[in-house]
Amino acid sequence: MDSKIKKLDALFNPKSVVLIGASRDSRSVGYGILKNLVSGCFFESRYCKPFGGRVYAVNPNAQEILGVKCHPSIIDIKEEIDLAVIAVPAKIVPKIMKDCVKKKVKGFIIISAGFGEIGPEGKKLQNEIVAIARSAKTPLIGPNCLGIIRTPIYLNASFAPSIPPRGPVAFLSQSGAIADSIIDWAIEYRYGMSTLISYGNRADLDVHDFLEWLYDDPETKAIALYIEGIEDGRKFMEVAKKVSARKPIIALKAGRTAEGASAIASHTGSLAGSYEIYKTAFRQSGVIVADNIEELFDLAKALANQPACRENSIAVVTNGGGCGVLCADHCSALGVKLVELKKNTLQKLDRTGKMHPAYSRRNPLDIIGDALPDQYEAAINTLLGEDYIHGLIIIQTLQTMTDPEKDAKVIIEAHKKYPNKPLICVYMGGQYSKKGAETLESHHIPDFNDVSKAAKAMWVLVKRGEMGKN
Amino acid sequence: MKQLDMDKTIILLKKYNLPFSKPIFVNSQQKVAKASQGLSFPIVMKIASSDIIHKSDVDGVKTCIKNASDAEESYAQIVKSARKKAPKARIKGAYMQKMEQGTEVIIGMKRDAQFGPVIMFGIGGVFVEIMKDTSFSITPVDRKMALEMIKSIKSYPMLSGARGRKPVSIDAIADIIVKTSKMTENKNIMELDFNPVMANESSAVIVDARIIVG
Repeated sequence: MDSKIKKLDALFNPKSVVLIGASRDSRSVGYGILKNLVSGCFFESRYCKPFGGRVYAVNPNAQEILGVKCHPSIIDIKEEIDLAVIAVPAKIVPKIMKDCVKKKVKGFIIISAGFGEIGPEGKKLQNEIVAIARSAKTPLIGPNCLGIIRTPIYLNASFAPSIPPRGPVAFLSQSGAIADSIIDWAIEYRYGMSTLISYGNRADLDVHDFLEWLYDDPETKAIALYIEGIEDGRKFMEVAKKVSARKPIIALKAGRTAEGASAIASHTGSLAGSYEIYKTAFRQSGVIVADNIEELFDLAKALANQPACRENSIAVVTNGGGCGVLCADHCSALGVKLVELKKNTLQKLDRTGKMHPAYSRRNPLDIIGDALPDQYEAAINTLLGEDYIHGLIIIQTLQTMTDPEKDAKVIIEAHKKYPNKPLICVYMGGQYSKKGAETLESHHIPDFNDVSKAAKAMWVLVKRGEMGKN
Repeated sequence: MKQLDMDKTIILLKKYNLPFSKPIFVNSQQKVAKASQGLSFPIVMKIASSDIIHKSDVDGVKTCIKNASDAEESYAQIVKSARKKAPKARIKGAYMQKMEQGTEVIIGMKRDAQFGPVIMFGIGGVFVEIMKDTSFSITPVDRKMALEMIKSIKSYPMLSGARGRKPVSIDAIADIIVKTSKMTENKNIMELDFNPVMANESSAVIVDARIIVG
């Protein structure tokens, strides 16, 4: 790893953190961050725990906040400090940073706003803080950002409301506010994340630096990006190409309307809108484009938890005919191929002795509404055992005899037996199928409440498989 | 930013070995008559003015000109209508060109502030901005990428021989795309359109080129 990137370890795996700008006012950012550092979250959640490292606070006017002793300045702290989180008014940030440099901190997160985003004056100040960080060879996140969260060590160096569950998806967001709401959502829907980075004005570290660090992060299996703009497009492409060869990257780009300005001079000018060019850059660097926030996280979930689909040749198992047809429609629209079941496969299904006399005998394989876990087991294992079937969408609608939990166990066992073939589940419903769906997801089998999302998830796994071949 | 005139455009296209349907400049009806002797009809005539970007908007293009007297009449017509519809434009005369046969495609380039030069390919002609059936690649574009660009547009079947049409030479189009990508090494070229490029079974030729330099 590049030594510049190696230095990011101090940001994501610090042994000690100081908050400069700790506040007693419970409605302030300086209080929120301290509470997050001390207990993991502002709003209680079952996923939060206190950060395991040492936490320090700087506030010259307070003795103690939230049980943390306040120091007048970072210089007054005796112990070594890895990470400095700064939330003080913009104009005193340079001075605070110089103290931190003296103290030999290894990383900066500048939460404070009032820099490049406010105009030329702020930009000047921003250049100043970047110069301080760079001359000290110390990486800097921000300014004007929410901060970062690293779930494996319960580090919540942000003013986000809480901490999401630990999991395989890293989320890099150019918007702090989106990250906030995503955390709330992730807690509700048990969506696991390894790292959350709000990088604000990206004055020093930019999205490509984080990608490069995540490349070697064992906790991260897929990377979701929310992007408003990229400064150095060519650098992004170079890094994204390398990283996406190992870990899937999915991006949602805001600001899609075509730009006009100088475009009138040529057809190419007016047709090559900014979003078209972003999409092209993403495609050329192996980044998958999501259409909206929900899709961003749906695709990341599928890619982080399931293997790529080796061939575009999948099957659907369902206990509801209508859902099977809908699923086939969505797959077809996306170019996901439902393979024709061979005669031999049907014979194998018949020989299990478990199939309903009226089962569909074709793909989608409708095993009929009264299917019990036994029928699911026979169908799923038979199909996964076939060389020409490379992935499976499993749909479960809820009838009186349906057993979502036992079905989940069947599916989990099948996945263990065929770990190289992706499984996507659709437990349609809510109240009574929720527990089974949770069981599936806790065993890394993505579940969606709608067949269109399942089709899209399988599409991305097929796409990932195709990308691997190029 | 300004548009290169025809002479400089031709020099540049030659430098990059790009196939171009050579125009003959005329600035009087007498010269039209003289030039007609050396041309095989049908031909196309286009208004010659650096001030006019979209020639068909001022009725500055005539196609399917069948003979010399047609050509003389066409010259008078396009000059008249261009003067009327673009009174401020300096009109130098017109270009006479062989009427190339084939399917119209467009190949273009623009420089993006973040990503640098981007190459565009699409189905061409006057409806290009309405159809918006285009594909893009960020440079450098090699042959494999160029072929992918061509194959990824929706109207690709129009090129590959749908409904009994003769397939056009995808290789010849790819060749122009790759050379266009190479051209971006010239940093003065800010934007360009090759529209139309006429593609037929064996070749592809640039019929009209608009190169914007900075």
